[in-house]
Amino acid sequence: MSENKQIVADIDRSLYDFKDVESESDFYRMQEGLTEETVLKVSEEKNDPEWMRQFRLKCLKLYNEIDIPDWGPSIDGLDMDKISSYVRHKSDMKGRWEDVPEDIKNTFERLGIPQAERESLAGVGAQYDSELVYHNVKDEVAAQGVIYTDLESAMWGEYGDMIKEHFMKLVPPTDHKFAALHGAVWSGGSFVYVPKGVKVEIPLQSYFRLNAAGAGQFEHTLIIVDEGADLHFIEGCSAPKYNVANLHAGCVELFVGKNARLRYSTIENWSKNMYNLNTKRAIVEENGIMEWVSGSFGSHTSYLYPMTILKGDNSKMEFTGITFAGKGQNLDTGAKVVHQGKATSSVINTKSISKDGGIGTYRSSVIIQNSAKRAKASVSCDSLMLDSISRADTIPGMDIRTDDADVGHEAKIGRISDEAIFYLMSRGISEEDAKAMIVSGFANPVSKELPLEYAVEMNNLIKLEMSGNG
Amino acid sequence: MSDMSLLQVKDLSVSIDNELPILHGINLDIKPGETHVLMGPNGAGKSTLGFTLMGNPHYCVTEGNIIFEGEDITSLSADKRARAGMFLSFQNPYEVPGISLSSFIRNAYHAQTGAPVKLLAFQKSLKAAMEILSMDESYADRDLNVGFSGGEKKKAEILQLLMLKPKFAILDETDSGLDVDAVRTVSKGIEEYQKKKDGALLIITHSTKILESLHVDYTHVLVKGSIVHTGDGTLVDEINANGFERFVKED
Amino acid sequence: MNRDINMKVNVLPVLTYNFLHVNDSTLQIKDMEIQTDGAPKPSDIPAGVTLTGEVPFSEAGQVFRANKERILVAKENFAGPNGDTSERDKDQAIRTGMGADVDNLMTNMGVKSDVYTIDEGVRLTSPIILRYDMQNGQGSLSSQVIHAGKNSEATFIMVYDSDKDAAGFHGVSTRILAEDGAKIKLVKAQTLGKEFIHFDDIGGALMKGAEISLVTLELGGSRVYSSSYMYLSDKEASYNSNMGYLCRDDHSLDINYVADQRGKKTNAAMQFKGVLMGTANKTFRGTLDFKTGSSGSVGDEQEDALLLSPDVINRTMPVILCQEEDVEGRHGATIGQLSDDLLFYMQCRGIDEVEAKRIMIRARLESVSRLIPDPEIMQKVQYYIESIV
Repeated sequence: MSENKQIVADIDRSLYDFKDVESESDFYRMQEGLTEETVLKVSEEKNDPEWMRQFRLKCLKLYNEIDIPDWGPSIDGLDMDKISSYVRHKSDMKGRWEDVPEDIKNTFERLGIPQAERESLAGVGAQYDSELVYHNVKDEVAAQGVIYTDLESAMWGEYGDMIKEHFMKLVPPTDHKFAALHGAVWSGGSFVYVPKGVKVEIPLQSYFRLNAAGAGQFEHTLIIVDEGADLHFIEGCSAPKYNVANLHAGCVELFVGKNARLRYSTIENWSKNMYNLNTKRAIVEENGIMEWVSGSFGSHTSYLYPMTILKGDNSKMEFTGITFAGKGQNLDTGAKVVHQGKATSSVINTKSISKDGGIGTYRSSVIIQNSAKRAKASVSCDSLMLDSISRADTIPGMDIRTDDADVGHEAKIGRISDEAIFYLMSRGISEEDAKAMIVSGFANPVSKELPLEYAVEMNNLIKLEMSGNG
Repeated sequence: MSDMSLLQVKDLSVSIDNELPILHGINLDIKPGETHVLMGPNGAGKSTLGFTLMGNPHYCVTEGNIIFEGEDITSLSADKRARAGMFLSFQNPYEVPGISLSSFIRNAYHAQTGAPVKLLAFQKSLKAAMEILSMDESYADRDLNVGFSGGEKKKAEILQLLMLKPKFAILDETDSGLDVDAVRTVSKGIEEYQKKKDGALLIITHSTKILESLHVDYTHVLVKGSIVHTGDGTLVDEINANGFERFVKED
Repeated sequence: MNRDINMKVNVLPVLTYNFLHVNDSTLQIKDMEIQTDGAPKPSDIPAGVTLTGEVPFSEAGQVFRANKERILVAKENFAGPNGDTSERDKDQAIRTGMGADVDNLMTNMGVKSDVYTIDEGVRLTSPIILRYDMQNGQGSLSSQVIHAGKNSEATFIMVYDSDKDAAGFHGVSTRILAEDGAKIKLVKAQTLGKEFIHFDDIGGALMKGAEISLVTLELGGSRVYSSSYMYLSDKEASYNSNMGYLCRDDHSLDINYVADQRGKKTNAAMQFKGVLMGTANKTFRGTLDFKTGSSGSVGDEQEDALLLSPDVINRTMPVILCQEEDVEGRHGATIGQLSDDLLFYMQCRGIDEVEAKRIMIRARLESVSRLIPDPEIMQKVQYYIESIV
């Protein structure tokens, strides 16, 4: 038992849970609720071009027209009238870490962001509530012509047309209610452009921190990886726990050019009062490769199914995901893929763990259109039940419209075998540690896809969940 | 006409799915009734040669020709080669639920001869062949290869060889993974095929167990995709004693 | 009197993305004269079996209502799955694969059920055979309830047949209650004409140690709905289902199979093997549902769909729901054309591509049709398969 305490002590939940309430006067907070007035107010705050202002109003109209989905987890606990869609610190975005306001800087210092930047990242963006507070790209990466900046200022700059051409084209606001909501009140997020043939050797990272209570975060990430280019982008999210619901309805649009490759990794650890209604989508041209690595640990309720459109011939997609649903969590996650081009291939590998009454649902769709001759798709999803008060559901769908396709699907649900626990215990390991080891092993196919520091963070999160203190 | 070649392979080069070259400038000349052995270390390309001779679409002939009974068959599909009298035994034959071993052989026999199969005569000769191979009769009605052990699968391949009576058969690692008794049984089946006096064989193997009781005319050594040495039947014994080292060095 | 029918059927136990169009299906029939004067009767009734005819549909369901608590095994209720649709069918005497709309149709049309009661311990040596010989232009509905007493054993074979080119409509509801230790084999062989609309709706419950084995062949018809919902209510109940289907031309097949595992150490195995040709359209839904209390249970569903034309539509929706730690659930699907390797193997034996496909279609369907325990019916079905492929 002493060993178990050791493990719990090793992981400091306060890492994510701390909050700085004293300084709220430093923040500008928009009135709760969603009206035309609030949308226009966001638009004004953001200094939108006219097209964007019109777009926001159109999205608001769609938001009011579209029903909430009838198939997913309940979002009854989410009251839009109590969510503030825009909260910002009363200071501008900084390009130098020293200039970031002290309270925010402390937050990110505690999360280890600037340290990670120095050690292993090509560039970092940090968003605090609704605004980016810091953005920096290493000189050598900038010299390659790589653009990594906030979306708002980019709209006015030389990439303005490119943004207008791509913004919410892949995820149209008609897609679902929360895509429309995002379109109406989005703020913050990143714009990345990797020019033709440029290979970014080390990852770029965005870190999202939602610190305010009863607020929404609606960041938009737009990444364009041009022909033959290569990028790894990492996204981290966290928030302290409040007793009121928070909402995250971000949107990620990824454009992967001919022969290009993009890896998009996420470790999501929102607090357990968060409604995470996030939409991520990629479109891949000829010979392009899209790789997703996705870890979902936090949130009260999640709808998250990164989607890939394999448009070009020979384009490929690989999705590796893990979801850990603990007490009070209803995490509905998975992936979607549409095969359009010839000889396209997709591989989906997911792991899901349910514990302490958590509900983990793996949901997916694989669509193979008639044009996708010689397409290959393989889906493999494993679920682990750690007790009998939780749920692990698997709801995959496939729609195949050509005979010239090769589709395989495997799903397994089970538990940790008593023999495996006994074996480890016979070597002197405590039962809880044995279970944690086995769960970490189960998650290993996902953690090995992550850069070392993130794999360590993920394993810590698993240990934290397993110790019952998550 | 015993001088006339049955199978000629001329300067054959092969790559996999048009990418990786595997075989380079292979030449072979096999006459009716002859038994050739193809040996070589793992990864030399032995099975590739077997698949290519039989026309597996994954393997692309980049150069050279395959001539069978004077006809260039390099671009014929596998079923046409089989109908011309060629046969390949598989290392890992496929499991096909729903079709019995006997009905599969009957289908194949019909496809090759075009003639209606006389059921009684067929069953009689099937029974006789199964006896030679010490196969339990019940296997005839079991689904093709489904739930067969490794040895039973190999026997089922040799059974097809005996029933279909090809002019030329390629046996790919027919002895791998078999115990001593099973090797003996399988080689008894092969002897039975040899008895048919113009039946020719190309036996692909990396061990020599199966060759002990068989008459061998020629032995070819394949290393890294090329035939580096050809000798008579005694070469088998030499390799048995000394391994492939000498040939690998020569290369 | 001619009738229009418009039903929502085959509702998925849990809803998913609407764009997949798998959450439910519609069964529509226009202006059809429908007879309800009963299903065919067996040529003789063996000793130990009582056939009660002319029982109004809902009255025939009374046996399930009376046993509701044993069937549903009410357990402490934890959260249901996301998108749960069980509310919809809660008024059925017993939930069926196609759902409440079938019960309502049967009741509204005044369909009479045949209730077969098999006495405790009775073991039938030969099958009870019901032959439906449907006429061109005919529309009909029928229903059976099978109540198998403790440790009884019986086999039912239902054959739905007509002329090859016949048009018409037939719908059947078969509901089964297998008491402790009862063993029921139910075979459904459908070789209806190419303009026939057919639905086959099955619901059942298995008590302690009971076994139900279901063999379904959906080979004919233009629009076919074939569904089953089984409650494995008590300890060591065992359910095994094998379906073989052939869907060709512009025909459609709509499937919704559920194994609802509630007892301890229950075992469910469902296999679906089929062939799609032409512009055929198939939707397969298969669900294993491990409820709280089903510890030690095992469930397996396997789908193997052979696609033989570039324009087929194949939708596959394999669901596993799980609320119990100590269970093992598996699903596997293989969808595609004949594998290159297998084709090459066949070719090496002199069999060309066309013939290889024929062999594989037959192999697939015959691996199911050979489970028909009556040699004459089995041969007839195999002859039907040969005549088509």
